[in-house]
This record gives sequence, structure tokens and C-alpha cells, in this order.
Amino acid sequence: MLPRARKVQKVPFVELYAGRLQGVVSSGSDEERVYVSYFEAGTGNFYCSTNNNRPCGGLRGSPCKHLIELINEGVLQYGPARVIAYLGLQQAEPDKVKTGAELVRFIKGGPHKVEAGMVFSRFLTYLQYVSVAPTGVPLPDMAWFVR
Amino acid sequence: MPLTDLKSVPEPVVQTAELIGHLDEVFESGFGRLSSANLQTLASLAASFAGTPLAEPLDAAIAGLGRSEFVDRHFAVIAGARAAAHGAMHDALVAQASAALGRPRAELEALANTPGQAAPPRAAVLLESVRQWLMELAIAGFANLEVGALLPFQATLDAIMAEPALVRHAALLSGFLDELLTVFPAHGKPEVPRLRWVDLWTRSMVLSLAPPAPAATREVKGELRVFATDLRQHDHVVSLVAFGALHEAGKPARVVRTSVSAFKVDVLQGDDLAGLLNEVGGKLLEAIAGGQGLKISGMLLHATGDLVWQEARAEVLPAKLKLAEEAAAVLTSPTALRPSARPEDRHPAVVEELVWLPGDGYAAVGKEARELSLGGQPFPVAFERWPSSDDLVAADIAGSKGLVALLRFDGGRWSLQPVMIDKGKPVPRMVGTGLQAGRGKAKGGNLATLKERAGKLLRKKS
Repeated sequence: MLPRARKVQKVPFVELYAGRLQGVVSSGSDEERVYVSYFEAGTGNFYCSTNNNRPCGGLRGSPCKHLIELINEGVLQYGPARVIAYLGLQQAEPDKVKTGAELVRFIKGGPHKVEAGMVFSRFLTYLQYVSVAPTGVPLPDMAWFVR
Repeated sequence: MPLTDLKSVPEPVVQTAELIGHLDEVFESGFGRLSSANLQTLASLAASFAGTPLAEPLDAAIAGLGRSEFVDRHFAVIAGARAAAHGAMHDALVAQASAALGRPRAELEALANTPGQAAPPRAAVLLESVRQWLMELAIAGFANLEVGALLPFQATLDAIMAEPALVRHAALLSGFLDELLTVFPAHGKPEVPRLRWVDLWTRSMVLSLAPPAPAATREVKGELRVFATDLRQHDHVVSLVAFGALHEAGKPARVVRTSVSAFKVDVLQGDDLAGLLNEVGGKLLEAIAGGQGLKISGMLLHATGDLVWQEARAEVLPAKLKLAEEAAAVLTSPTALRPSARPEDRHPAVVEELVWLPGDGYAAVGKEARELSLGGQPFPVAFERWPSSDDLVAADIAGSKGLVALLRFDGGRWSLQPVMIDKGKPVPRMVGTGLQAGRGKAKGGNLATLKERAGKLLRKKS
């Protein structure tokens, strides 16, 4: 048996990047639609829209269900300590946090629009990695990466 | 086999490490603002290369940097000097280890140059971009990086990933960028793993000096018996490295190393790795899981003892092997032809000398086995290198009948990394034996979901 990472079915992509916890969340109702969501470190601002920049209907001053799913998966992937430190949520105690949803009350910002394309293009970059052909050539520099 | 002779480290190795440590302070604060202490450090670096072919270029580069001439050739020379110092440490350490183990030092096999495809012209331009980026990092200094200086490099990296001739660069640079982005943007004072980052910077610079030339190789035909494995990975690449005995007709058996690697994303772990590696090395995984040999014909072997894995040229043989005996036979007094590193890749961190320890020669110390007792003398175990999978764990050492370990040099001391443990069962304990079972399970997992998304979205984009 090997350790198992989080499932990507609902939230195919989440990352801590450029001062944001950001990612892509599948729509619960429409298989073809995805939402692009983010929380910003420091300001605590957040936003959620479709990848065509249509605002999410659930976003009324507080994080919508997509944002909650995003932060839940973010905590699964990176652990509470890293998410708390990255977002600068000084009041939260990493040892007591079990799910990302518990962190939402420490987020002080409000909805603040960013272009979905910025995050979505990161998702495409991410997917590019699983599209590169595997190789049997020696990669001696991988000796540097121990895990 | 007095491994216990390796308790002390040769004095020149210690001194060279100190010299490099001072140089790395300059990388932390940045070449953009050289203090008088920094200039002194650079002068003493130049002095220690007096009389070598690097002396003149190093003098010129340091003088240029002192005049704030920020051109990549100056940084290339600094990288070359730092890599050469580490190469000398590597050679001294390999000499020490070989003497302690009573075996000849590993040698590169003499091979005639083989004609091969040169890298496309595009590669040269991409590598120039890499050097430019590395130069910017060094000018700013690792303590002063801004996330804005890191993000644009992703576009260069995307292009490098799309260029098969630069697969080594893609593997190294994606791992390096990952680590930088884990720390930046930083709240307050960033925690900079200075030695490691300057090592990765130096590796990247040396590797990017010129497009890769076709390597000298020869075709091999025979049987490969894999007796040890190591899994290496960062968020974007996984590499399964296999060590085995190669039996060629009319030649003594020798040790070779082969690997299968795949690009990936952070959520792909565990069983999904099997799905990724299966595509390029399914037969290798099958042989490892079953303790079987592989008939190979026409695979290419590098001078370093690295076999280029090609599925189409391998065939899994039905017989179950006694791999512990195989390892003992080929490792007890190995020939000089065994896995090693090219001069430009040498660094204490890549020393991996395979050793066989018979069951009566060692015992685990304590429950966690942070040390092995070798005839009553404690010897460190490379504890941080135990894999996260459970096909090889520290508890396997107790009651085992023999083991294969990689002798490593890390953190200023020698240690042993067990990579195969014989428990007296048909298949020994090693990383990757569990991957075979995961090949089927990976269907419907994260890998399948992401591949499906990639298929839809990346096609739409182009």
C-alpha cells in the first residue's frame, strides 16, 4: 500500500501560488462547467467565477460553496499549517484545524474580482505536466530530490 | 570490510566545504550589492584556483562582477568553479569510500563517440533564457527574491518541457522553481536553504551552458537482474531508479543503473505513480515485483553505467531469481565498471556506492534503526531517505538475512541508505514491488481524471 493523495474529482486543481490559494472547482450541476476561485493572502479577499468570467451566483459577501470546497482541498493537500501561514491567518491554530472550512471565519476580506483567465491558465500549465511523454533516459539530477 | 573507517572525513573535503560556504553567502545577499567581505570571499575563491585552467577566467569574472558587469559568462565561470570544487570533494570521498570497501574506484567505460541527433537550434535559445533567469536570481540574492522575478520563468519552463532534448533541464528546473515558490512570497524574513539552493542554481547553470551533445553509448544484449531500487521525486517528476547485475555473454557480470521517469503534478502519488511509470517501464515494474530477470537486446548503455530503458527491447523472463545471492555475488568485489557520475555532474550529494551487508554483519540499533551496528560499531542510517511507501520500511532491518545499501555522503557525514532488504522471502523488500499491484487500480483515479481534463482542455486551447 502506498499513501493516497486527495481526490481530484470535485476540485481538479488547487495551489498556493503568487500569494493566493487558488484553484478550479467542478460545478455540481453541469459537467462541462468549472468555477475559478481564489483567496488572497494578507487582504483576505476572495472571488469565484466561471472560467468565462461570469460571477458565481453563490457569492454574496461571503465565500460560496466552491470557495469552501477549494479551501477544504487546499488543507487536505498542503496541511493546515502551510495554508494558515501562506494566507497569513495569524489567529488560527494549526493543531486545532481539521478542515479548511474552519478557516473561513478567520478570513477578513470580501469579494474582489480578478480575471479568471489568470488562474485558469495556471490550470492548463498544470495539466501540461501530465501530457508530457514519460522517459527511460537517465535523469541524474533527480538524485537531488529525496522524498 | 571496514565501513567504520568512514567515521572521519578527509581534511581537504572539510576545507573545500568551508570555502563553498563563504561563496554561498554572496548568493544569499546577491551579486548586485557586493560588500567588502563578499569581495574578499571572491578573491579567496580565485586564490584557491591559482594554477588551474579556471584561474584566468575566474580572475576576469570576479573583476567584471566587481565592476557590476552583469553578463551571464561571469556567472557561468562562478558556477564552473563551484561545481569543480564539489567535483573534487566527490572524487576525494569516492577514493576514501573505495579504500574502505577494498574495491577499485568506479570508472567511466571507454566508449567510442556514437553519432546521434544534435539538439535543435531552439534548445540554445531556451538555455540562454535559463542562464538569464539564473543570473537575475544571483544578482538579487536568494534572501531578496520577489515572486515577480520567479513567475515569468514558468513560460520558459513550459517551452523547455515541450522540447524532448531538454528533458533533464525540465526535470531539474521544475523541481528548483517548485522549491523557490514554496518559500516566496514570504511573510517576513524568508527561510532560505542556502547550500541547497546554490547547489541547484549551480547544477542548473552548468547544465545550461551548452545544448546537450549526443552521449557516447554502446548497445548491450544480455540479462538484467534488478536487485535494488530507489524512488526519487519532486512535485513535478517521479523517477524510479533500478540497480541490477548485467550479464553479457563473455563478460564478467557488472552493476548497471537504469531509470524510468514521468512528469506529474503534486496530487499524483501512490498508485497513480504506477499508472504514470507503467507507460514507459511496465516490464521493469513487472520484473521488480516478481523478482524476475529481464532479457534485453539492443538497449543503450552510457559510459556511466546508466542503461537507457526501452520497453520494446526488454522481455520479462519467467524464472524467479534469488536476488540476495545475485546482489552478494556482484557487490562483494565489484569491478571498476559500475554506476558513476560524469565529471560535470560530480558532487558529494550524488555519491551512491552500492554495498552488500550479509545478515551476520549488522544489526539495527533501537526501534527506529537510526543507526546500524556494524560489528559493534554504530554507523548512521540515511533516515530521511526511507520511502513514504510501505514496501521498504525501517522495521524490515530487524531479523533480515542481508541487505543492499547505498553508501551516501550527506550533511558532512557518511551514512547507509538501505535499498533492498532480504527477509528470506522469494521477493526481497524494495521500493516499487508494490507499484505493480497499483497498475490496474490506477484506472478511474486522479491520473485518469486529470488526463481526461487535459485531453479536452489542451486540445481546445491549441
